[in-house]
Amino acid sequence: MSSATREEVLRHLNTVGYIQPALHKQTHAPSPDEIDHSLFRAYTRPVHDVGGEADIPIRYEEKEEEQWELNTFATCECLAWRGVWNAEERRRRQNCDVGQTQYLGLPYYGRWLLTAARILVDKQYVTLTELSDKIYEVKKRYE
Amino acid sequence: MSDHDHSHKPAPMVDEVSDFEILEMAVRELAIDKGLFSQEDHRVWTEYVHTLGPVPAARLVAKAWLDPEYKKLAAADGVEASKAVGVDWVTSPPTQFGTPSDYCNLRVLEDTPKLKHVVVCSLCSCYPRPILGQSPEWYRTPNYRRRLVRWPRQVLSEFGLQLPPEVEVRVADSNQKTRYIVMPVRPEGTEGWTEDQLTEIVTRDCLIGVAVPKPGITSNAKRPIRKAIHPVQHDHDH
Amino acid sequence: MSKIQHDRTHHAKMATGVGDPQCFKGKAGKPKFKIGDRVSVKDLPDIFYTRTMVYTRGAVGEVVELVYESPPAEDESWDNTDKSEWFYSVVFKQNDLWPEYSDEFSNDSLETELSERWLESA
Repeated sequence: MSSATREEVLRHLNTVGYIQPALHKQTHAPSPDEIDHSLFRAYTRPVHDVGGEADIPIRYEEKEEEQWELNTFATCECLAWRGVWNAEERRRRQNCDVGQTQYLGLPYYGRWLLTAARILVDKQYVTLTELSDKIYEVKKRYE
Repeated sequence: MSDHDHSHKPAPMVDEVSDFEILEMAVRELAIDKGLFSQEDHRVWTEYVHTLGPVPAARLVAKAWLDPEYKKLAAADGVEASKAVGVDWVTSPPTQFGTPSDYCNLRVLEDTPKLKHVVVCSLCSCYPRPILGQSPEWYRTPNYRRRLVRWPRQVLSEFGLQLPPEVEVRVADSNQKTRYIVMPVRPEGTEGWTEDQLTEIVTRDCLIGVAVPKPGITSNAKRPIRKAIHPVQHDHDH
Repeated sequence: MSKIQHDRTHHAKMATGVGDPQCFKGKAGKPKFKIGDRVSVKDLPDIFYTRTMVYTRGAVGEVVELVYESPPAEDESWDNTDKSEWFYSVVFKQNDLWPEYSDEFSNDSLETELSERWLESA
């Protein structure tokens, strides 16, 4: 087989995965009687606890680190070094409080970063206004 | 205003700053402004991270292979044994109380011909950074964390490692404050080797447990490397 | 406005030069279990946070090590560190954890840590 064919084959196998039977239920704040114990447990489970869930073999990769990722790691450790939080507070927030969608939807260090931003506000070291203003100011530098 | 009738071209990738980068700067600058940590703290921590890599852990294994008393110490008290390879879990990190995320409880898991260990953190990606450096990308994936605890032999075979049925494959799920490195069995063909020679064949993947050391193999198996858009200025991966 | 007061020095004060979990040594009192004990993992409420994986609940394993004393993750994650518990390293047989685990590999095992509140005698 030509390599163009191989590329198409692999692309096809990938695309087929997006076509799913419509088993998903729409949910817009159901009434309590629609939530049985299984669903309650699934919704309220600590999100990080994935051991034993089904998954497929994938290509494992190494990754070049972004400068912002290393900076984020250092920020998170410095926040703990200087007593703003401990690592367990960080993990609870970063790996559970973010919720299922962000957990699987965001990059690994994206969650570290959002969680570092959040701790500053939650512990009243900055107001949300100060954080938003700072984001705006930084953005402006790159326009 | 251009005369040409073409659609707006996005700025070249190299000039674009991502939402992550903007937020990262905002958070770091605010934290410093508010006196939560200093710019110097951040620099010191970054420098500390740059010193970390798998060689100390590899050397711990090499020493243990050469010295039965040290091997006993390593298996009984990983923190004490780490000192012999220059890692003090409490005072090597700038905090002087261990790194916040990696704590001070290294356990060295001793493989035997009948027992093979392999490590995962199914809840996040806990890893013995002070002695092994930063974790590989695949170790952090939900995929590895879901599968290794339940289908270890399948995952290991994807890494090219298959063990006979009589060998006990033990998954160590580092879910709390302990951090693990695997001490593999010393391979055949290394008789008379020096500590340096032995250290060279104990790769990071061997220390996680997804590979076994072999004479002549001094690096992890080749895998695709996902490039960064704005990579770290100097590469600290050993 | 009501502003929270934070003490950012408490961990550094207790752990500098000592380490963590070393700084909690002696705070959990007498351990309930010893090496060799067979223990079963309780399916306790795990609202908001735990580090006791659901795949261990209801399983029976063997204590192989009393690893350290520490505040349990459930409390440490809200910086409630006044009380500590003993942590145990427990080994489970894989074919006790997973129904489809092949009998061919009946020696295979899994080792992980649980704090005392999660364990009872089996």
